[in-house]
Amino acid sequence: MDIAAGEFLGFLNLNWQLATMLVVGGILIYLGIAKDVEPVLLIPIGTGIILANIPLGGLVDEGGIFAILRQAGIDTELFPLLIFVGIGAMIDFGPFLERPYTVLLGAAAQFGIFGTFFLVYLLGDGWLHLLDFSLIDAASIGIIGSADGPTSIYVSTVLGSKYAAAIVVAAYSYMAMVPIIQPPIMRLLTTKEERNVKMPIKATAVSQRTKIIFPIVTVLIVGLMAPKATPLIGFLMFGNLLRECGVVERLSMAAQNELANIVTILLGITVGGMMIASEFLKLETIMIFIMGIVAFALGTAAGVILGKIMYLASRRKINPLIGAAGISAFPMSARVVQREGLKADPQNHLLMHAAGANTAGQIASVVAGGAMLMLIPLFG
Amino acid sequence: MIDALWIVVLGMAIVFAVLGLLLGAMTLLNKLIRPREKD
Repeated sequence: MDIAAGEFLGFLNLNWQLATMLVVGGILIYLGIAKDVEPVLLIPIGTGIILANIPLGGLVDEGGIFAILRQAGIDTELFPLLIFVGIGAMIDFGPFLERPYTVLLGAAAQFGIFGTFFLVYLLGDGWLHLLDFSLIDAASIGIIGSADGPTSIYVSTVLGSKYAAAIVVAAYSYMAMVPIIQPPIMRLLTTKEERNVKMPIKATAVSQRTKIIFPIVTVLIVGLMAPKATPLIGFLMFGNLLRECGVVERLSMAAQNELANIVTILLGITVGGMMIASEFLKLETIMIFIMGIVAFALGTAAGVILGKIMYLASRRKINPLIGAAGISAFPMSARVVQREGLKADPQNHLLMHAAGANTAGQIASVVAGGAMLMLIPLFG
Repeated sequence: MIDALWIVVLGMAIVFAVLGLLLGAMTLLNKLIRPREKD
C-alpha cells in the first residue's frame, strides 16, 4: 500500500482558505437559525458552502452532485425560472393595480442597477482598471440592485459573468439586509414633514377580471418591448395567472408551496456549492459585496427622490417614503417603509402603498434585467 | 466609458417606457372594467 495519508484524510488538505469558507458557511447557518435572518435561504446556502469546501469531498468536481446541480439548474436558467412561477403565484398585485402610479417608483428604483453598473465599470475596464471587471461583469454586478435573486442568477448566467456565484450570493444575502441598508437613506433624503404625510388606506377597488387580464397584458407589453425579459416575466406572470384565474387552485398552491420550496432547497444548496474558496476569496469578490450595498442604496435613493417629486406634484399627498419600496425586495422593503412611516407618526400606515411600489418593483427589475441583456451585446 | 453611459441612459429609458406603457394599459383597464358586486 503506497498511499499517502493526505490523499484520503480531508483535514490534512485543509488550508486557511477552505477553513475560512467553512466558517462563512457556519455563520450563515447561525444567522438563519439563531437570528432568524432569511433562514429559508441562508440555511441551504450555508450548508452548500460547508459541503463544497470540505477537502476531498468531491461535490464540486466534475460529476459531483454540485457540479451536476449547477449545470442542470443554474447554467440552464431552470431554477430561477421555476422559482419565478412560485413567486408569481405568491404575489398579490392588487395593491399595485389599485394604485398604478406606483409603477413609476418601481421604475425609478432600477437606477440602483444601472448606477452600480456604471461605477463598477469605471473601477474595472472602463477607466481605472483597478479590478478585473469587464462590461459583462459590471452589468451582472449591477443586477444585484434588482434586489431579486432569480433575476440576478438569470442575467449573470446569460451574460456569462465569471463572478456569477459571488453575485448570486450577494443578491440573496442583501435581501436580508434591506431593513439595515434602507432606513438611514430614507431618513437622510426626507424631512419629518414629508415622512408624516398620511395616505388613504382605501384605494379604488379593482375587478377580479382586471387581476386575471393583468398578467397577460404584462407579458405582452414587456415581451414585445423588451423581448429578452420574456422568460422571466413569462414565468412570473404564469404563476400569477394560476393564482388569479380561480379555476386551478391546486396548481396555484403547488406553485406557491411544493414547487417554490423544492426549488428553493435546490437553488440554495447549489448557490452555496458555487462558493468555492479558490474562486471566492478574492479582492473582486469583496468589491462585489461592497457594490451590492451601493446598488441597494442607489435604488432606494432613486425611489425616494422620485417619491419626493411625486410629493410636490401631488401637492403633498404622496409620502416619499413609499419610493424606497420600489426596489423589488418583496415584501421586506414594503415592511421597512411601513415601519419608518409608523416611526414618524404612529397613525401613519403606508404598507399598502409601499406594497404597490414593491410589486411594481418586481416587474421593473425584470424589465431592467431584460434591458441589460439587450444593451450589453450591442455595446460589448 | 461613453458606451457605459449610453447603457445607463438607454436602460432607464427602456424601463420607464415599458412601465409607462403598463401604467397606461392598467389605468385604461381599471376604467373599462369596473368591479362587480361579487368582486
